[in-house]
Amino acid sequence: MGSPCLTLFALLCLVVGTAARPFYPLPSKVADGERQPLQTSRPYNIAHRGSNGELPEETTAAYMRAIEEGADFIETDILSSKDGVLICFHDFTLDDTTDVAQHKEFADRERTYEVQGANTTGFFTVDFTLKELKSLRVRQRYPFRDQKYNGKFHIITFEEYISIALDATRVVGIYPEIKNPVFINEHVKWPNGKKFEDMFVETLKKYGYKGSYMSNEWKKQPAFIQSFAPTSLVYVSNLTDLPKIFLIDDITVPTQDTNQSYWEITSDGYFDFIKNYVVGIGPWKDTVVPVVNNYLQPPTDLVARAHAHDLQVHPYTYRNENLCLHFNFNQDPYQEYEFWIHKMGIDGLFTDFTGSLQKYQEWTSPLSSRDSSNETSLLHKIAVMVSPYERV
Amino acid sequence: MKRNMAFISCVVFTITLAALVSVSAGRALMYPLPSSVPQAEKKPMQTFRAYNVAHRGSNGELPEETAPAYMRAIAEGADFIESDIQATKDGVLVCMHDVTLDATTDVADRKEFADRKTTYEVQWVNTTGWFVVDFTLKELKTLRAKQRFDFRDQQYNGKFPPITFEEFISIALDAKRTVGIYPEIKNPVFVNKHVKWSDGKKLEDRFVETLQKFGYKGQYLSKDWLKQPCFIQSFAPSSLVYISNQTDLPKVFLIDDVTIRTEDTNQTYNEITSDSYFNYIKDYVMAIGPWKDTVVPPEDNYLEKSTDLIAKAHALGMQVHPYTYRNENSFLHFNFHQDPYVEYDYWINRRGVDGLFTDFTGSLHRYQEWTSSSEKQLLQKIASMVSSRDRS
Repeated sequence: MGSPCLTLFALLCLVVGTAARPFYPLPSKVADGERQPLQTSRPYNIAHRGSNGELPEETTAAYMRAIEEGADFIETDILSSKDGVLICFHDFTLDDTTDVAQHKEFADRERTYEVQGANTTGFFTVDFTLKELKSLRVRQRYPFRDQKYNGKFHIITFEEYISIALDATRVVGIYPEIKNPVFINEHVKWPNGKKFEDMFVETLKKYGYKGSYMSNEWKKQPAFIQSFAPTSLVYVSNLTDLPKIFLIDDITVPTQDTNQSYWEITSDGYFDFIKNYVVGIGPWKDTVVPVVNNYLQPPTDLVARAHAHDLQVHPYTYRNENLCLHFNFNQDPYQEYEFWIHKMGIDGLFTDFTGSLQKYQEWTSPLSSRDSSNETSLLHKIAVMVSPYERV
Repeated sequence: MKRNMAFISCVVFTITLAALVSVSAGRALMYPLPSSVPQAEKKPMQTFRAYNVAHRGSNGELPEETAPAYMRAIAEGADFIESDIQATKDGVLVCMHDVTLDATTDVADRKEFADRKTTYEVQWVNTTGWFVVDFTLKELKTLRAKQRFDFRDQQYNGKFPPITFEEFISIALDAKRTVGIYPEIKNPVFVNKHVKWSDGKKLEDRFVETLQKFGYKGQYLSKDWLKQPCFIQSFAPSSLVYISNQTDLPKVFLIDDVTIRTEDTNQTYNEITSDSYFNYIKDYVMAIGPWKDTVVPPEDNYLEKSTDLIAKAHALGMQVHPYTYRNENSFLHFNFHQDPYVEYDYWINRRGVDGLFTDFTGSLHRYQEWTSSSEKQLLQKIASMVSSRDRS
């Protein structure tokens, strides 16, 4: 008579017991309070498209390698699929970094669209659903980089990218870009009249990203929102107080949304305006210090003026290959880091080679002296051994 | 009366002139040139970490084997400056790597030498060009050096002449700190075939004579040697054995790729790296200089398993100084992520080499400076002090 009750009770206890006690927490889950925080004492190491010097850009593998190598932030470009899913992808066409050309089933998808005033032909992400995009495989963009991972990895979504950062065993920031918003909003429509920028911020909020620069909330989950389109940045300012970075292209390229020239958007007047919305700028490094015959010329005053307006400066993009290094640096990427960090005084660097920047920073401005502690303690031991003999 | 006056003024003039001459000659001793630092005060060469050997000078930045390339290497911290010694038609020892002048000088543009182009057999291969051994020193000096690789800085092309062995030595001796020299007896079989000295002496004799003339002598790490460090290198073992009777300066046996035979003894790579050969040659040389891709053979631009070459050499008391380390990504295997510092780390810390021939002296110097903490350096100094006591 009592046994069904007893059984039910036992079952209830079991349920309660298992729900309340995670007996064996997943090894990768580190309790929040224990995670090594973001370093903020030296310029940010921003893994540009992940560790894409070594692995195909914007893939899970590239981001995980970057985190392993010590990135402060992992960076990405957010575009949209045909069915409105936010994905990590740099080009608006799939041609250069995927095997789309080998997929016969998509042969009829090639299109020509106008993008930022130029007619471009190719396979556009906005013409493929997420499912179709996931059937593609990514490849290394540059022929002189390691090709052995071609065809192994697929395109990931914004949410998958965020999960990679949140799953890391130390605090790793994210640095997503609202990419080509004018073009995206033209081709992709979301329900309830939402725009690309709305979906972008919603995704961040869904995962708990919030807080102004250096607030406690921000330091738990650091994020910078970047864009070449100033109106998008102004627009999202109403939706989130996460810090924003205004990207500045080469001197010949006008902004895609406001059609303003390089000179307009880098003027003091413009800095006065934009500083109310962004915490920094992300210029192309060859506009900060112009180059002639592969030699650096005297620097412009862009960094000084930005700093005078309380704007950080995060130039792009640093690459190890000698063809990307100006002769002043003697084909040595570390000498380039040295110049930009110590001579130019910038606040963050977008690099394709996270590991190299990390080594440079650890060797020249280490966060802790834990490397020398072994030697120091050994010397201490020797000193202790020697001192009794000295007295005699 | 007039003749007396003329005579007297002549005498006065001569005496004044003589006085002026003797005073200025004497004054050269009273006020030594500011750049000359007495030997005793010169900072000694480091001997506790792998040697930074400036391969052909700092030829990543300046045309190889020129005075500025060597001076740049010294400024950048080289332990040794390296050179290749051949002979001109009139028997003067000069610094030049190739047997021909085509790749590193403007000889092809010189109409006055158009008829000097010829074909000789060099190490069993017919080679066409303008040969060093067909030019007198005076003619050679009218040529101007150019940067060998088109992806390196071309701005110094046409500015610097080739230099002699003696000029190379002077550059080292004039340095403000102790800088070693690392000259090679280059292509002795070919040079001795084409250049005859009237006293029946050979390239090897002239080579050692020059070193002795400038005071180079002493076994490795002896007091004499530490004042003026010097390694003599060659691909021709019989040349190294031959000069063993003339000087006790340390010698280095260079080993070429696996397909190349020694130019004097026609031996294969397998022969000269065999246990028995090493047992023989170790009595004449204190180090081997192998091509690094034979020490750890690459596959698909990835380094796989190491051979036991370094272990064998070390077991027999021979150092290992591989060549050549270059910053450009086309020379860096993918394991190194296009980062020359990762390559240095691998060879110095994983493979334990004792010296490195590098085209980029500055990069190797930075790597070594940044990764030897002062504690580590002190411990290494203690270790070398202790081991030298063990030896004595």
